[in-house]
Amino acid sequence: MNFFLDSFKSALQLIWSLDQDLLVIISVSLKVSLFSTLFSSLIGVPLGLAISMGEFRAKRFLITILNTLLALPTVVIGLFVYSFISRRGFLGPIGLLYTTKAMIIGQIILIVPIVTTLTLSAVSRIDNRYRKTAMTLGANSLQTALVIVREGRFAILASVITAFGRVIAEVGISMMLGGNAKGFTRTMTTAMALEFDKGEFTMSVALGMILLFIAFFVNVVFHYLQGKTGE
Amino acid sequence: MLYEIKNLVKNYDGRNILDISCSLQRGKITGLLGPNGAGKTTLLEVLAFLMQPTSGDILFKGSRVDFAKADLTDMRKKVVLLHQKPILFSTTVYSNVEFPLRIRNVKKSERQGIADQLLAMVGMEKFSRAKANKLSGGETQRVAIAQALACSPEVILMDEPTSSIDIENRVIIEAIIQEINRTRGISVIFTTHDRGQAARLADNIVYLNEGRLADSLNENIFSGSIERDKENNKFFITHHGIKIPVRTEKTGFVRISIDPAEIKLGQETDDFSSGCTFKGKVIQLTDEQKYIRVLIDIGISLSVTLERDIYLRNPPGIGGTVFLDLPPEKIEIF
Repeated sequence: MNFFLDSFKSALQLIWSLDQDLLVIISVSLKVSLFSTLFSSLIGVPLGLAISMGEFRAKRFLITILNTLLALPTVVIGLFVYSFISRRGFLGPIGLLYTTKAMIIGQIILIVPIVTTLTLSAVSRIDNRYRKTAMTLGANSLQTALVIVREGRFAILASVITAFGRVIAEVGISMMLGGNAKGFTRTMTTAMALEFDKGEFTMSVALGMILLFIAFFVNVVFHYLQGKTGE
Repeated sequence: MLYEIKNLVKNYDGRNILDISCSLQRGKITGLLGPNGAGKTTLLEVLAFLMQPTSGDILFKGSRVDFAKADLTDMRKKVVLLHQKPILFSTTVYSNVEFPLRIRNVKKSERQGIADQLLAMVGMEKFSRAKANKLSGGETQRVAIAQALACSPEVILMDEPTSSIDIENRVIIEAIIQEINRTRGISVIFTTHDRGQAARLADNIVYLNEGRLADSLNENIFSGSIERDKENNKFFITHHGIKIPVRTEKTGFVRISIDPAEIKLGQETDDFSSGCTFKGKVIQLTDEQKYIRVLIDIGISLSVTLERDIYLRNPPGIGGTVFLDLPPEKIEIF
């Protein structure tokens, strides 16, 4: 118990002193997660909308595939992207391996299915009369989609936040594609894993606390938005 | 002609929920009258180009509507459908009315004037800045009408426009329907199951029953059973125990329908030829323009329609006792 309390105390001191190493790790984590969430949203939200509003034969099959992709392990994605961007890979010459760009690509693959399925589910719950009303008032497909997005904005935003929560806490992709290089690709989760291996618990506990705080903050926003959706 | 509907079929789960051919006139108010499940809403959605029929053709102002075409937006801009319970976008009342103008690229300076004028027309100008999703049912309906008019449509389709609102708003909306038809020349097609409303508003009435056109609607429908008396005469006996003489080969549980126009009304002294006379009390009178509808309680409520002249010759009043004749051959059994 003393060991935990001591680590906890030291961690608080580390956070309070705004330790430079800690700040760099946090900034890398946030940068990678925010960019991957942004790009995933740009892909996933329109894709979710298109699948939800579209009428095509393979619709059910596509939804099943997307649901399956939700369970994709991060190490599998890491391995998959690695095979493309490693020196021997197809995209090897670009030199993406062990960069934040590689981490972002891997994380996009991880959360595009999350944003897409949650958007799809959010849009499906929106009253169908909104779509019909927009159409009968003369809106074209794009204008109708924008009406749906506006009516479901809180639920769609909640899906984006969920995806952010997923990437900020993932470790497999960051480790395999980022390489955990100090000051460059070291994120909160990969740093925690490394410090744990070294037996340096203070940094691990400090990072864990910050990660928990971010998770808490994200959840507060999420519940606020969920409340808005129900209004 | 506004719409020409040829062998239009809409199939749902292996059942034809709509199977009709008819024509609807331009510049008129047309009432689609029928009970729940008659296919009225389905027909409106097809007429609004929002639902693709399973088979058949629709000609809109002489041009065939190609539902297979990906984009029917141009056609939809001429026809607007008001749902039974309209839904407004979760913005202000003003933004809702302005929406059709915005998507038609009307200049911002003109939008304000048009939206304000339309809101004033439906008596909702005071609510311009109010949140649209906080309005009552009747207010929502009125804003939805203003929103529809902002489209400058040639046709407005209304699904049960007054079914879920109070009587005050009903009167207002009926007046608006007549006004937009008279002053703007907009063709209005509305559905209702209220005969009185259809008679008050519509220039033409189309009867729909179980997805098909009907000459009139089956009325006075009762369920019960066919039984014989000692003299071997057949009677239909309602659940309330009322015995009505019938001529049929059927036995057991059946439903009957009695055409309100085939029931004769008279006094006790009148000589009814059928011999199947019932005594009843008048409980309701409705003016349906050409006809007067008399609701009579004979243990069950029977609706009788009388031509205005015939009614005025010897008008029964509310609470008055009347005798009515139910000829067995006029009773439909199914």
